[in-house]
Amino acid sequence: MCRKTSEGPFDDREDTVSAPNRAIDLSGEQITLGPVGDRVTRIAGAIGVLGLVATALLGMQGGVEGQARAMNSYLVAFCFFLSIMLGALFFTLIQHVTRAGWSVVLRRFAEAIAANAPLMAVLALPILVPIALGRDLLYVWTSSEALAHDHLMAGKVGFLNPTFFLIRMVVYFGAWSLMGSWFFRKSVEQDTSGDPNLTVKMQSASAPGLFVFAITLTFASLDLLMSLEPNWFSTMFGVYFFAGSALAFFATLPIVSYFTQKAGRLVGLISREHYHDMGKFVFAFIVFWAYIAFSQYMLYWYANIPEETVWFLRRQTGQWESLSWLLLFGHFIVPFLALISRIPKRAKGTLIVGAFWMLLMHYADLYYVAMPHLSEGVIPLSLMDLTAMLGVGGFFVASVATRLRNRSLVPQRDPRLHESLAFENF
Amino acid sequence: MTTMTLAHLNDTSEDVTQRPPLVLGDNDFASITEKVCSAVEMTRTPKIWWVLFGISSSVMTMLLALIGYLFYTGVGVWGVNNPVGWGFAIVNFVFWVGIGHAGTLISAILYLFRQKWRTGINRFAEAMTIFAVICALVFPGIHVGRVWMVWFLFPIPDQQLWMWPNFRSPLLWDVFAVGTYFTVSLLFWYMGLLPDIATLRDRAKTKLRETVYGVFALGWRSSNRHWSRYERAYLILAALATPLVLSVHSVVSFDFAVSQLPGWHTTIFPPYFVAGAIFSGFAMVVFLAAIARKIYGLQEIITLRHLENMNKIILATGSMVGYAYGMEFFIAWYGGNPYESFAFASRAFGPYWWAYWIMVSCNVICPQLYWFKKIRTSVPAMMVIAFFVNVGMWFERFVITVTSLSADFLPSSWDMYWPTWVDVCTLIGSFGLFFTLFLLFIRWLPMVAMAEVKSIMPQAHAHGHSTGSAAGMAPSKPKIAEVVG
Repeated sequence: MCRKTSEGPFDDREDTVSAPNRAIDLSGEQITLGPVGDRVTRIAGAIGVLGLVATALLGMQGGVEGQARAMNSYLVAFCFFLSIMLGALFFTLIQHVTRAGWSVVLRRFAEAIAANAPLMAVLALPILVPIALGRDLLYVWTSSEALAHDHLMAGKVGFLNPTFFLIRMVVYFGAWSLMGSWFFRKSVEQDTSGDPNLTVKMQSASAPGLFVFAITLTFASLDLLMSLEPNWFSTMFGVYFFAGSALAFFATLPIVSYFTQKAGRLVGLISREHYHDMGKFVFAFIVFWAYIAFSQYMLYWYANIPEETVWFLRRQTGQWESLSWLLLFGHFIVPFLALISRIPKRAKGTLIVGAFWMLLMHYADLYYVAMPHLSEGVIPLSLMDLTAMLGVGGFFVASVATRLRNRSLVPQRDPRLHESLAFENF
Repeated sequence: MTTMTLAHLNDTSEDVTQRPPLVLGDNDFASITEKVCSAVEMTRTPKIWWVLFGISSSVMTMLLALIGYLFYTGVGVWGVNNPVGWGFAIVNFVFWVGIGHAGTLISAILYLFRQKWRTGINRFAEAMTIFAVICALVFPGIHVGRVWMVWFLFPIPDQQLWMWPNFRSPLLWDVFAVGTYFTVSLLFWYMGLLPDIATLRDRAKTKLRETVYGVFALGWRSSNRHWSRYERAYLILAALATPLVLSVHSVVSFDFAVSQLPGWHTTIFPPYFVAGAIFSGFAMVVFLAAIARKIYGLQEIITLRHLENMNKIILATGSMVGYAYGMEFFIAWYGGNPYESFAFASRAFGPYWWAYWIMVSCNVICPQLYWFKKIRTSVPAMMVIAFFVNVGMWFERFVITVTSLSADFLPSSWDMYWPTWVDVCTLIGSFGLFFTLFLLFIRWLPMVAMAEVKSIMPQAHAHGHSTGSAAGMAPSKPKIAEVVG
């Protein structure tokens, strides 16, 4: 519910775009990336190629161990961008299912990022091909030798086996690619046709879409991350990965908006009110992540059953302990306190700094989940962590920029665009 | 209202080009006040109210009598045994706390999400929350064997007796969680009531009414300053109540999940309990709203779209509950712990299989009918489904509590649990308490938040945009004279 108030420090309406009947500039230059998109594609694409080549070369140097190390760096980077893509898909679906009005000017970003699903399927190949070829670089359950010695792991072979794993991956990436591409295509179609029935169609598809999304995301997180330590289990793990994914996307959204506006696009369309709302969602998912992480940790800590605590114990031994503390303070307590007031959420500068920080913490969180099985007590930081991030990230950004180069950056004929342009927080 | 046809009352169209009006018919501020207040001011209470009140207060009397019997004789009158030391008392407690989740979700979380349609239903959903929590609080109070020691539940510092309760016990966390929730919900509800109580005071025809409503209105004069404070306080309370909606049932779930018992000890319990609570709470709201709007002719304020929206939430949360059932089963197998997989196999195919399948069919399968628009906009259908949802959610708590306790690690300590007639009648009696309180509420207090409903009507919009801007424009406050009506 919006109510107007007007009081000293919060009265910042003069530089927002909330005058009810002002003319909105929807000309081509304002709402397409144009040459900026080309430049971003070129630079990000080049970084992507260099990053992946560097990761591969660095991995080759260290023999089998080096390859395994490179694969782990790659997995973390891959899951980082996968989670942003999944967060974007979630955002698109949830805006339609709730018939949201406020978010229309931001939705195209989410649609374009969610349409990266086929790219992520291609980028998954370095993880999937070795498994298909019978190499056991990443997941211990792919090694027949390990299976022979581990009775507990052998019991899971009906689920954790290369064939079924690959089939599941095809299903996940197939479902995400279908949804991501479809929502992007329909939304772009509306830019030209202006047909409100497309909105009706997207709304009807969004509710079953959320079902498919929930199930595929859950099992993908179990497969890609939880099965790195196949004897450990948690019914919450899918929700934990979801919380991180949604947070990662909500942190990405203000950053993308900010740089788009810095390039002179969508000026006056994305207002301080939108940044405020994005900030609220960042804040909300910081708390939601903490709630899920706490519940998972506390219940295992309290019951103190060895096969459950082993996972956390490894993360509290040696250098890993400092990462655990970093997550507690850096992923929750500090940003919680920093974003609780409305002032930092409405000040673009602080919100962008906070959003970058949360992305860094999200990376730390994935590192905390995916790396400790490799090295007991030592955080195995490596140059490959950086190159893998640049590699996957370069392609990720280049692909989004290409997609948006000649297309409108807002769903310009969405029937609820006017709501998004007019709303105000009280 | 009498001139309205049924077609006018159906506002569930999917027209995306404009937002449907939130209040139907030819209503203005005065007619809203009139309609809502008439339920409280009518000199002759409807017969149906007396009938319902007679039934529910008799059932409540049965509850009181049974509590007396329990206190006099001891907990042996219940079916609890060893190993099933937690029987109906905890099942009913968790059930009622769950029911009490919809109200605060509607008034706090939907408020933060700017869901304006919530204004039509928030008042009585909040009231329901408070009554449900009262019903819930009865059970921990009476379940202790020596009731005269019930004050042990509270953390009263006593240096001499060294009686600090054990802060590591989730049962104590419950006292804090439910106590906080009750306090904040009550404050939230009462604060929201102030402008409406003031309206009743100003309309009062007798001195007595004027005095009583006047005392509870706390001197509300609808001045600009009052509204300004009111809105600030509302936002703060909403922000405080939002985490509470999640924390209460999370803490209740800790009662089970911190243990090492197979079937209880699983990490998804907190959000799964919260989803289940919202699920059952909304089912109860739909059930009562469907009846109340009919009896008091409020179909233009509590519209079919309200009911449809709530049914969608029921579908979403019911599916989350189904997701949790599925994950539990999958991880019970994946985890490789034989006790865990036994616990789940025994739930579905053991001696309590019937309870398990009642739970699954009512909670997971039945709400899936809401995929069909015809069903989620049909009042009789939704009442049947809402009823089954509450049956299913009660059985969920029964399944969790009883199956895990009755067959744990050691077969020699297994035993079956069966409730006694006292157990069953106490459960029925708690419904009597709930409905008695609810009926008293709709008789004496406005069941719709009049001031809030007015704020979302087109008349409240400063520049007179009537359509298309319902969600976008900021409504101004209703003018003082109009609020007082």
